[in-house]
Amino acid sequence: MKRHWILLVICAPVLVLSAALSIWALNAPGGNVAVIERDGEVLKRIDLAIDQEITIEYKDSCNVIEVSGGKIRVKEALCPDQTCVKMGWLKSGAFPIVCLPNHLVIEFERPDYADADAVSG
Amino acid sequence: MKVKRLTELSLMTGISLSLFALEMLIPNPFPIPGIKLGLANIVTVFAIYRYSAKETLLVLLARILLSSMFSGSLTTLLYSLTGGLLCFSGMLLLRKWVNEKHMYISSVIGAILHNIGQISAAIAVTKTMAIISYLPFLLVSGCLAGAFTGLCAQMAAGRIRGRN
Repeated sequence: MKRHWILLVICAPVLVLSAALSIWALNAPGGNVAVIERDGEVLKRIDLAIDQEITIEYKDSCNVIEVSGGKIRVKEALCPDQTCVKMGWLKSGAFPIVCLPNHLVIEFERPDYADADAVSG
Repeated sequence: MKVKRLTELSLMTGISLSLFALEMLIPNPFPIPGIKLGLANIVTVFAIYRYSAKETLLVLLARILLSSMFSGSLTTLLYSLTGGLLCFSGMLLLRKWVNEKHMYISSVIGAILHNIGQISAAIAVTKTMAIISYLPFLLVSGCLAGAFTGLCAQMAAGRIRGRN
């Protein structure tokens, strides 16, 4: 077998597996509580039932986060790429909104670190 | 370094920066950080097969540094640098294994390595494992974009060889 065929045989499963995982990630269920994190620390827990606007500052930059109708998104950002704004509303539990320049991550709260209030309430 | 070589390498850097600037003008339909066509990589793939490792590395580093200055996002420099260097090392190892007629395969493997490097750097900087869920998206786009840029480099190499 020629050498380049061996490499193609390695690449093909990577592509297929990634495509499958992508589809899974897009459809993972969300939740009612979102968390805003920076550098691995939770900055805020947000109950999505309450409509609000939150501004999170970072150095000279900031992100304006909007909660509306049980959904959450980044409404405005002072970063050059605006990727987090373009991502729109947070939909999937496996696919967080990330603002890399501002080190900001927004995702649905995972069951493993939900506190007692969330369980009893 | 001979003047002719230096000129050629500067030209390579110039071309890759132009491709980078061109790509900035194309609206990105995928709102995921890190997903892009990577036109500038055409030059890297081409240079790997045409120049020595040191020369290619010079072109690559100059392009990554200057392009992040042009785009005004120095924060993403670290991600591009990690991805770029991992991709470079991978393609360098493959240079002996995959001949010039199958450049595009090196390019695909390079793209996969680039994505892995990028995501690892992003996870290390933001200390957020959740970013790993971007990897499958990056890999799908990386494989396709890598094949495309690799084919471009392959065609360019074919034409230039014909002239020399």
